[in-house]
Amino acid sequence: MKSISLPASEGNRINALMGLEDAAALIRAGAPLAIAGREAALDRLPAGNWIAGTTPYFMTADGGRRIDANCVFVTDLSGLGDVRVATYGEDELGQITEDAPENGFALAIIPFQSACHERFAKEASSYPQAFLKPTVGWIAGFDLDEAGASASVYDGRTSKAYANQAVVLHVTLPAEACPMVEIVNLFEADGVDTIRFEEAGFNPARAVVNGEQVDFAEYVNQRGLSDGSLPLVGDYAGARINSSIQKVAAGHVELYAPVFAGIDYAFARPVPAFADTFRARLDETPHDGALWSCNCILNYVFGGLEGQAIGGCAGPVTFGEIAYQLINQTLVQVRAI
Amino acid sequence: MALPPKSAACWQKLAVGGLKLIKTQNLGAQMLAQRLELSKLSPTQKADEIYGFFTKWERGLTNEINQLASL
Repeated sequence: MKSISLPASEGNRINALMGLEDAAALIRAGAPLAIAGREAALDRLPAGNWIAGTTPYFMTADGGRRIDANCVFVTDLSGLGDVRVATYGEDELGQITEDAPENGFALAIIPFQSACHERFAKEASSYPQAFLKPTVGWIAGFDLDEAGASASVYDGRTSKAYANQAVVLHVTLPAEACPMVEIVNLFEADGVDTIRFEEAGFNPARAVVNGEQVDFAEYVNQRGLSDGSLPLVGDYAGARINSSIQKVAAGHVELYAPVFAGIDYAFARPVPAFADTFRARLDETPHDGALWSCNCILNYVFGGLEGQAIGGCAGPVTFGEIAYQLINQTLVQVRAI
Repeated sequence: MALPPKSAACWQKLAVGGLKLIKTQNLGAQMLAQRLELSKLSPTQKADEIYGFFTKWERGLTNEINQLASL
């Protein structure tokens, strides 16, 4: 298959969709790679210094697209410093930041709806050195049109797939470079209600809305927000951090990322002309030194990004994004500056 | 402005709520501020963590460091 070249960052570092033979050649050459694609494609890659996760959706320079199993998305992290592959079980996730390089970052991929996903979501911000050794990454997903599909991640050292592990590239940067973790979140609080939760979780039964206890599922339904197009926006000392509605069924709300006690939340106001707004925001966002990026499946679906070029750094479209902790409906990028 | 020494009073001020008053677009600083506000660590432990954060990322926190004198 012809390689599809996508400029992503300075220095012509490969960050692109490419055929399986091209990806295999890079692996055999010893390049440290972060890869994304369909399971049938990732299963065919040779062993090497890489990690991968499943998703068929990508944002590229030509627009959002869903790929088949003849290609994968490859981010080459050659030429920076030592890049090591590691794998962690659900009881070892706190070790990610411990193992991360003093000057660099950890790039993690975790399967959607795995125990690792849940544990990381609840605990990541409290891991030792979480803000001294940043973790970025994504939650692996699947084709939404494939009933019963599930997510996998891959440890390239053995080419083995896992349904409940975190695979990580520990990326060391040159001494003169500094990792910069950034997000682009189009959503802002709608100003209607202030919502608080009394405990952390993906399935809040109750909430405190403007000081009054409510059944959260009833509240979401009454607001007409059960379709998940608009996330809860948490105020983290000025940073807007989303938790998105997965579904409201049988009187229960399921979220894509947990809410936490002690945070003020509000539902987001709608974003008009979503793709145009995203393009404008990315135009004013610095991308020099960009190494890696991902965007959210909910932005892709509800924002109508398939076929829409919005600029920025190309990358996988994911079922959750990691910027220190799990977040939703947000673009994440890491730059070396 | 140079980074104040660990003995400077500003680190204790940051630890008891001052960090949320710093105007910043740095995602790590914002998330750290929120985490520490909810944390049961002592002010001294929080001050140590904040000092470590500013020391590690000093190069990218010029605007934030310039605000420390006005705390």
